Amino acid sequence: MSAPTPILEVRDAVKHFDGLRAVAGASFDVARGSITALIGPNGAGKTTMLDLLSGFARLDAGAIRLANRSIAGMAPHQIARLGLVRTFQLTRVLAGISVLDNMLLAAPRQPGEHIPSLLASPRLARQREARARLAAEELLETFGLRLKAADYAGSLSGGERKLLEIARALMTESSIVLLDEPMAGVSPRLGRSILDRIAILRQERGTTFLFVEHDMDAVMSRADKVVVMAQGRVIATGTPAEIRADSMVVEAYLGGLAGERVP
Amino acid sequence: MSVDFWINVGVLAGIYGIFTLGLQLNAGFTGLLNFGQAGFMAIGAYSVGIFVVSWGLPLWLAFLLAVALAVAAGMLVGISALRLRSHHFAIATIGFAEIVRYTLQNAEFSGGNQGLIGFDDDWRSVNEWALSKLASVELDAYTQLPLLLAIWATFLVLLVTMELLQRTPWARVLRGIREDEDATAALGKNTFSYKLQSLGIAAALAAIAGFFVSLNITYLYPTVFDPTFTFFGYAILVLGGLGSYTGVALGSIIFWVLLEGTRLMETSLSAGQQSSLRFVIVGLSLILLSRLRPQGILGNRNELRAEP
Repeated sequence: MSAPTPILEVRDAVKHFDGLRAVAGASFDVARGSITALIGPNGAGKTTMLDLLSGFARLDAGAIRLANRSIAGMAPHQIARLGLVRTFQLTRVLAGISVLDNMLLAAPRQPGEHIPSLLASPRLARQREARARLAAEELLETFGLRLKAADYAGSLSGGERKLLEIARALMTESSIVLLDEPMAGVSPRLGRSILDRIAILRQERGTTFLFVEHDMDAVMSRADKVVVMAQGRVIATGTPAEIRADSMVVEAYLGGLAGERVP
Repeated sequence: MSVDFWINVGVLAGIYGIFTLGLQLNAGFTGLLNFGQAGFMAIGAYSVGIFVVSWGLPLWLAFLLAVALAVAAGMLVGISALRLRSHHFAIATIGFAEIVRYTLQNAEFSGGNQGLIGFDDDWRSVNEWALSKLASVELDAYTQLPLLLAIWATFLVLLVTMELLQRTPWARVLRGIREDEDATAALGKNTFSYKLQSLGIAAALAAIAGFFVSLNITYLYPTVFDPTFTFFGYAILVLGGLGSYTGVALGSIIFWVLLEGTRLMETSLSAGQQSSLRFVIVGLSLILLSRLRPQGILGNRNELRAEP
């Protein structure tokens, strides 16, 4: 018996930016229900990889398959509807609307978002809205933002914005969530608690997580699998223990640069 | 004299109120800098004139077709220009409004600089009928009163409709786009489609305003739709406040009372000087407002992040 199909398959992905090869033939899989870390030194192509996976950058060559379906060339919203959601390295909360509206905006399958179906069945839209509100309040509770629900997202602190962006991503009920440096810019304690909550949600919902992170302690303790990128290529994949024992990784990345963080 | 004068101020405030509802939807609630609203208004007004005069259609049918045509123009502008971000989109829409004006000024179908006349017979008969009703309350001396009532009834219905629409999940997506288009797309929303819808509705509102302009002046010529009129709309928007439809109504009344009311000033200035002074007064009031209440009279400070 072969292993079940991975939720995400990246094959020989290439992305150039004006002659710079940001991603130069990278291949890796993300297993369904796993917490996979994507690590590598600055400029390794990690964020470009997330952009490729979420449709914010277009693949020059290679293939990306999400749940057995090619997503190369799709727009971000199309990929999101197939069940892949991402967060951004610099948090992007919608500052001018409330925390609750940030969450409700992420609710899937809301017929009230389309004028024809809104007019055809206003009741269904209201029912979905009420259900989404419950789900949103539960997630806000999990992330400690319940009391801020009515506040404008622009009034949140940096750490709270990070939490809101992750909670909002989870609100989409996506099967895979990409997190770009979920611990950056927040205190180490909050960062660890974010990862704790992710581990719990993976247990409860079976959501797959792929996260880019520089904090090696966090990566090694929380990830099931680690993908190491350097100079646009995947140089190693394996369990945290295997990665730590890999001399090439240690040389390319962990060695002198261990514990490096982007300011 | 005086009552007729203020009825006319009310007519203008109502027309530009409808006009600015569309700008509020675009700039206030979607973050789209639509600077081509005067172009959509011109398309609405001229289509009514052309459909009636050249095609012999009844005024009301011409009105519906004119709105549809303005929406189609909105789609065309949107499809070609909406992929541009903020200021680039704004410049493209100014270009569109100029194209419309120069076309109307030079084309044969629009009567060129001589304009169009004789399309409002249907309205005149409604006006007569309304005045005969108003005779019973001795208000039939005010010939523009039926138009004022028609405009404000329409304006209020549209205002309530827009307000209700604003409370739906649909409008939440628009506000998401205003805040951060990429983040909203990442949540699975087809942001291009929403921006197109926003622009289409604004174009329809502009066309309705244009219809009332045509009834008000009974004679269509290109300079009535100078693209700078879009900025009257933005002045009203800034006065009333971004993110509030009620603010549009209030802003429009204040703007036109200031701009027209200052005609009544008794000064020793020449007519030309006085008419310039009127714009100085409106400009100073806007500057004063931006000092004292930057979010506008009814604007929401937290929603002020949208440009302009």
